[in-house]
Amino acid sequence: MKKRSIGFAVLALLLSFSVILSACGSSGGGNSSSGNNGGNSAASGNDGGAASSDSGSGNSGGSKVTLSFWTLFDGGDGDNMQAMVDEFNKTHPNIQVKNTKLAWGEYYTKLITAVGNGNGPDVGISHTSRLPDLIDQGVVTDLDETAADAGVDWNSFNQNLLNATVVDGKHYAVPIDTHPFIMFYNTKLLKEAGLLGEDGKPVFEQSADGFMTFLKTLKDKLPAKITPFALSNSNDDPYRFWWALYSQLGGNDLVADDLKTAAVDKEKGIKAAEFIQNLYTQGYIKKNDPDFYKNFQSGTAAIMMTGVWATGTWESTKGLEFGAMPIPKIFDQEATWGDSHTIILPVTKKDDPEKRKAALTFANWIADNGQIWAKAGHIPSKPSVLEKEEYKAMPYRSDYAAVAGTVKFNKPSTKNWQIRDNVSFKFLNEVWAGKMTPAEAMDKMQEGVQKELND
Amino acid sequence: MRMKKGRADLQALLFLLPFLAVYGLFTIWPMLKGVEMTFYKWTLIRKMSYIGWDNYREVLQDREVWEALWHSAIFVVFTTPTMIVLSITLALIANRKSVLQKFYRSIFFIPSVLSVAVASYLGLFVFQPYTGLVNSVLHLFGILPEGSELFWLTETALAWVAISVLTLWWTVGFNFILHLSAIQEIPEEIYEAARLDGANDRQMFWKITLPYLAPITRTITMLQIIASFKVFMQIYIITGGGPLDKTRPIIQLIYQTGFKKNDLGYAATMSYLLFVILLILSVLQYWLNNRKGADVR
Repeated sequence: MKKRSIGFAVLALLLSFSVILSACGSSGGGNSSSGNNGGNSAASGNDGGAASSDSGSGNSGGSKVTLSFWTLFDGGDGDNMQAMVDEFNKTHPNIQVKNTKLAWGEYYTKLITAVGNGNGPDVGISHTSRLPDLIDQGVVTDLDETAADAGVDWNSFNQNLLNATVVDGKHYAVPIDTHPFIMFYNTKLLKEAGLLGEDGKPVFEQSADGFMTFLKTLKDKLPAKITPFALSNSNDDPYRFWWALYSQLGGNDLVADDLKTAAVDKEKGIKAAEFIQNLYTQGYIKKNDPDFYKNFQSGTAAIMMTGVWATGTWESTKGLEFGAMPIPKIFDQEATWGDSHTIILPVTKKDDPEKRKAALTFANWIADNGQIWAKAGHIPSKPSVLEKEEYKAMPYRSDYAAVAGTVKFNKPSTKNWQIRDNVSFKFLNEVWAGKMTPAEAMDKMQEGVQKELND
Repeated sequence: MRMKKGRADLQALLFLLPFLAVYGLFTIWPMLKGVEMTFYKWTLIRKMSYIGWDNYREVLQDREVWEALWHSAIFVVFTTPTMIVLSITLALIANRKSVLQKFYRSIFFIPSVLSVAVASYLGLFVFQPYTGLVNSVLHLFGILPEGSELFWLTETALAWVAISVLTLWWTVGFNFILHLSAIQEIPEEIYEAARLDGANDRQMFWKITLPYLAPITRTITMLQIIASFKVFMQIYIITGGGPLDKTRPIIQLIYQTGFKKNDLGYAATMSYLLFVILLILSVLQYWLNNRKGADVR
């Protein structure tokens, strides 16, 4: 009896130890189950990167440079990037780029840890909004010296996009696109409601009232099962819409210039949130739409707003007749939400100038050939690409390319993503659900942003 | 004699060595490292500075931590008893001699083969409004009036129901198998004897089956409490911890703090807080079991 109970005690202890530890492990492990591919490709990327840096020049015996390149693109984005890498490798025999696709949800965590233990890639991708955090953690290097060598002309970029990648007067990234929040509309349904102009563009006055009237007409004229405005009820897209309207009102970034103080512009934030909240309460946006993309894609929604990346998807949808345009100027000035993909050079064990130069040559080439990248819908970062025949020949893109100049970027705060995920989403979601007043939400946001900044 | 025993011990040690080495390397050492982390500001790329007991002081005052712990605790309190009852019931059903016996065994067990992602996405589809199975069925039987929807995934209380139901469905299989095999271990003669004495089915269940299942049930309860405290992935997929973090369990907070907020030191501190709580629960339960065990025998 006694012996048994001791055995049981030991067993219980061991069990609880291992179970609890596996609990901690399961946060990582469980997660990789959703991004298993990412996990595997990360590992093979590591090996590939290490192997290539040792044996890269072995092949030709010449000064061939092999670069490991980590990306976070999937779907159409991933295919387009692979196509560009292939094309680059073909045209640049001395530089070979190996593209490793990581799962997007895990990308940054993997990049940061890999760079931290010296197994990072030679070239990587970063969102502009994530860049300050990567700089702060010492993950990325500044590019100015190498850029001069590689012949990168900073003046050839859209300055609005470029400026968002400059921190403390130094260039840290080569922007390759911007992917702003725009508006899509179903031309068939708009015509049915008598709201499509001769030029194939929606007819409404670009103002708060004008947009409301537009939605009201859509609701009145179209069958009840048609959603006037397809939008999700939580997180990213309504937040982007709110940010766009807040910026149209001239709202300040949520973070003050010192990057240490929360600076939610309460009045403007309330006004923007009230406008959007109305769209939900008046039934223009379907309540808790489980899949607003599908709603628009299946032709049961008159308009929708999301990032430009949807353009490629709508194009390949049979029978969907749609148009794309910048989001309407609802308030004082044109502005929208947007972010950029940029190419970065992470910190590596051996700071090989040859590799760095090759990497920037590659980055610059990608930016120069933005017409391929634009297939997914993104707006190229170099104005010269917009002039290319290949780009002009693609429908829809030119309808919204001008938006690149009006994208309102976040300040270079290291906490941008945390503020977005843990504060903005959280409280704005409550407003959309009608459980919090816009005023209350702004107060909570001010408080929450400050808390994130203090942490 | 003495020598022999010493040699036997040595041999045993030799056989145990590979396990001990692996156990030490992958369990004990990370645990010690984890303790070390709690005293540092420790980011994903190990920029460290020693901060003493700061993490501990903070964790005790952090409202978010206690809220998340509370969520995990309610989940445990609601799901564990239900799980036990469900698992015994299913085991009894599957043990009944009928042509469907094999069929029952498979359908009760099958969900637990699914990975958490698959199970969670099934849950998402079943509980989503407009097109989800649950709302459709409710509409069909007129329980839910036409034109109105229950938002299972975005209303806190309903979200907890959805998460609990999904988790029970998904994980009951394992406990069901344990209970089933325990039921099959009960000697048939006892039932025969009871029947001769005129006992009815209900009496036999309460006086024979249940007491015989007690030891395995106690073990299952302990494992279940610990497992339920670890709840994370299905909630992460289904509600993301929302609305307003009202369904966020402690493991999710640990994950977010460590890997999203880049604060591994603080995340480790929370893990050890959870560890201590679970340890206390295990010891408490062990002590209770022991007393009960003494009573019976």
